[in-house]
Amino acid sequence: MGTNSGATAGINNKPVGGAAVLGVGVVTNSSIGGNVLSNSLGAGGGLSISGLGGQNANVGGIVSNMGGGGNNGGGNDDSGNGGMGGNPGGGGGPNNQQATTPQYTIPGILHFIQHEWSRFELERSQWDVDRAELQARIAMLLGERKCLESLKSDLTRRIKMLEYALRQERAKFYRLKYGTDPPQLNEFKPSSNDDGGLGGDVATDSEVPYSSVSNTTWRQGRQMLRQYLAEIGYTDNIIDVRSNRVRSILGLNNNADHDGVGGGGIGGGCGSGSGSGGGGENLSPNINGNESNKRASESEGRHTPAKKVQQSNDAIILDTEAAVMANFEFLGPTEMSDDDEISDDLEMVATDNEDSDVKMAKRPKSGKDMLTEDLEAEVGEQLLNDMNLMTEEVDGSLGLGELAQLTVNNDSDGAYDANAKDGTGGSAGGAGYRKTWNAKYTLRSHFDGVRSLIFHPEEPVLITASEDNTLKLWNLQKTVQAKKSASLDVEPLYTFRAHTGPVLCLGMSSNGETCYSGGLDGNIECWQLPSPNIDPYDCYDPNVHSGTLEGHTDAVWGLTTMQNNIVSCSADGTVKLWSPYTKEPLLRTYTAAEAEGGPSSVDFVRNEVDHIVVAYNSAHCIIYDTETGKQVIKLEATQEMSGNTGKFINKVVSHPTLPITITAHEDRHIRFWDNTSGTLVHSMVAHLEPVTSLAVDAHGLYLLSGSHDCSIRLWNLDNKTCVQEITAHRKKFDESIFDVAFHATKPYIASAGADGLAKVFV
Amino acid sequence: MKMADGSTILRRNRPGTKSKVSPHNIHTHIACEIANNSTTKQDFCRWPDEPLEEMDSTLAVQQYIQQLIKRDPSNVELILTMPEAQDEGVWKYEHLRQFCMELNGLAVRLQKQCSPSTCTQMTATDQWIFLCAAHKTPKECPAIDYTRHTLDGAACLLNSNKYFPSSVQLTTTHRVSIKESSVTKLGSVCRRVYRIFSHAYFHHRRIFDEFEAETYLCHRFTHFVTKYNLMSKENLIVPINEDENAAPGESEA
Repeated sequence: MGTNSGATAGINNKPVGGAAVLGVGVVTNSSIGGNVLSNSLGAGGGLSISGLGGQNANVGGIVSNMGGGGNNGGGNDDSGNGGMGGNPGGGGGPNNQQATTPQYTIPGILHFIQHEWSRFELERSQWDVDRAELQARIAMLLGERKCLESLKSDLTRRIKMLEYALRQERAKFYRLKYGTDPPQLNEFKPSSNDDGGLGGDVATDSEVPYSSVSNTTWRQGRQMLRQYLAEIGYTDNIIDVRSNRVRSILGLNNNADHDGVGGGGIGGGCGSGSGSGGGGENLSPNINGNESNKRASESEGRHTPAKKVQQSNDAIILDTEAAVMANFEFLGPTEMSDDDEISDDLEMVATDNEDSDVKMAKRPKSGKDMLTEDLEAEVGEQLLNDMNLMTEEVDGSLGLGELAQLTVNNDSDGAYDANAKDGTGGSAGGAGYRKTWNAKYTLRSHFDGVRSLIFHPEEPVLITASEDNTLKLWNLQKTVQAKKSASLDVEPLYTFRAHTGPVLCLGMSSNGETCYSGGLDGNIECWQLPSPNIDPYDCYDPNVHSGTLEGHTDAVWGLTTMQNNIVSCSADGTVKLWSPYTKEPLLRTYTAAEAEGGPSSVDFVRNEVDHIVVAYNSAHCIIYDTETGKQVIKLEATQEMSGNTGKFINKVVSHPTLPITITAHEDRHIRFWDNTSGTLVHSMVAHLEPVTSLAVDAHGLYLLSGSHDCSIRLWNLDNKTCVQEITAHRKKFDESIFDVAFHATKPYIASAGADGLAKVFV
Repeated sequence: MKMADGSTILRRNRPGTKSKVSPHNIHTHIACEIANNSTTKQDFCRWPDEPLEEMDSTLAVQQYIQQLIKRDPSNVELILTMPEAQDEGVWKYEHLRQFCMELNGLAVRLQKQCSPSTCTQMTATDQWIFLCAAHKTPKECPAIDYTRHTLDGAACLLNSNKYFPSSVQLTTTHRVSIKESSVTKLGSVCRRVYRIFSHAYFHHRRIFDEFEAETYLCHRFTHFVTKYNLMSKENLIVPINEDENAAPGESEA
């Protein structure tokens, strides 16, 4: 910066110097001009060279001081003004001698130029400062990116490891079950799997019921993992590096400043990049952020494992395995307790496999090379996210109490400064590399609270329903750049009008062609979705509104769809099953005992055909068989729910794959129920105020909850920890968030609020 | 935590809330609501009024207006009485939002009767054909399209972050003002949406009367634009002005 200003001063001197030469003749004038002004002019007049020098020095001072720029600037301006003030006074003299116009005297011009010049200089120095700041920021972001990348490859490596173990285990299982070797699965030649074979593999998996994953097979899998570790030479070193990384993730050696974060992150990355290289030796070059160094150490690392493998002995392997098991401690507990959860984990990995099928098929022949191969596979964000969460579990120290989580103060994008906060260090440190959801689209066009929203199953399209009596259709690809903000405004494409009161709930058919809405007026309206590319000011097409399901005599509060059927619950106390677009759309009505009160929410049981779960004012849920209309089971826990004051259920959702029902309660809890036994599985304080809405993602891994405390929270369903909290909406009266939703196939989540807005996060 | 505090009133519409006004007295209803702390059913939005100065919500003005309307939609004078210390721009803005919102109700009714075949143009009296301003070049839309486009356009404009930034839409204090250039937009929105009233009045009188009997919306709107000088008198062609002369006495009663 110093050199810069020097150079510019040099350049600028030329014209000013020229002016100064002119000025010399005038100096006398100005001194004649006025006594009062003589001082300032004198300063300016000494001006021709020294004055300028003075100015230069001033500017230089500003640049070097940087922080004091404001003060200096003020001083400069003042002197500049003084100089300008000399104009009229000095003008008196020249008028007589020269024929110039009175307002443009040479000293005046000179001063003006000087003034302007110093002003420009000041601005320039400010730009320099800005630039330096931005460059620093770029450097920081680059460092961050690098660290994320290395983390990614680390995690990919782990995925591969798990995949491999899984594959081996499947092969074993297959062998046990059918007594023959699986057609194409060979322990040492995983590459021989072609796409077809993999497809078959995955299919088999989906056929195998969860219960078949018994402890014995799991032990075999563990055996395979051990074998596998032996192959790759998973030694102490890597564990050291790993623990370093874990520590860095936990923010233990992590300062809040950029260097600390970058260093810690890259240090972690180094663990992944170098495979078996010594942790310390790699750490130092990487902190320098020197890419080539890193590359070198990385490639160095690639050769070492091969040697190590030869040296490896059983003792090391056992140690290693123990350590790995310690790391992957979530495997331990699950192994002991719950088969379902194991299968869930495996299922997760398995589905992820599908994503990276191609990559797996390309896997090299030897297991040794496989690991060291560059694993920059394009693994979907989802996958990464999953793995991140697994690491989070590994971290273990996240076992914060429920209430401790409530204090998680998520400065949504301040992943770094959150590190400073006690207790949240773990999760915040994790936030550094975990996918965080950020508000991207703001959907503003409703005049009143948005009661419900639903995504199209495939397109980036959603529908919102509002208390302003309308529904609106939005296409996230048609956006308007909002001024001065990173978020985009979306304008609605179509407004659905038919309800004569607030619209309270929405449902959409699985093909995304039809949408249903229930309102305070007691009607369920059926809509054919217009094309997502419709002109918002097209002609009115009455066919969009394709029917009304009449039958409820009071507000319809809950609506959900399954195949061609919809089920609705209403304040009239009934739950109705409909088959729209048929002659007799109303199929059946379910009414509970008087003591249960009216229904507040309803959902289809997703893993069991013909079952629906209904939440009642009594804070009980009842599962009905839709065919017989009989109550199958009642979800209640006498102790937990005793004295049902405030336990009111605002929303009930069914897990997409497991026999679990999740309820959102007025008493700030989210509760998990086992559908088969009807017992309470888990109960947690989830928000600061009543939980109003729930959504589970299509894979059943995450839960999204919204509350009147204005925030939405994302939960990992595995360990029931809060992954992210976002403050999303404002309050109207005592209400804030009405609904949350996941997109079934795209990485979108959305929230709808009493403030009339809907927001979409990516 | 507000629970278990008998005196706390939570103004919420919980799922399962009935829409209809409960047959028994509202006051006993509220009393029982408070006593049982939210386990009894409450009717939609049927909660005790909250004084404006106690509303700490960011949507206080909207809440206040809606509360007044809910209490008695016919008391136009009271609804339009601006509280002290209220910025007039925000007050007008919030009212216009409320008008456009309630006009959706009229549009729903019109949709059933007013089709492009019966009303090919947006007219009120035979004097004018209104062109739809929602398009790049104003277009002779059929009446129902004009209605929908105008309401959709108004919704976009009134929710636009550009003209009415959210700091105004969602203001914590009552004194945040709207910039002058945006306030002038309110006038043109008023003129356009008023045509929906006039079309309904001259062509779908039955619908208009039913709607008006329920909401007093045209009455309130006419009063509003006159009071705040948003439209010129000669444009107010729906004959409500005469009624209005009699109205002050009525509304004071």
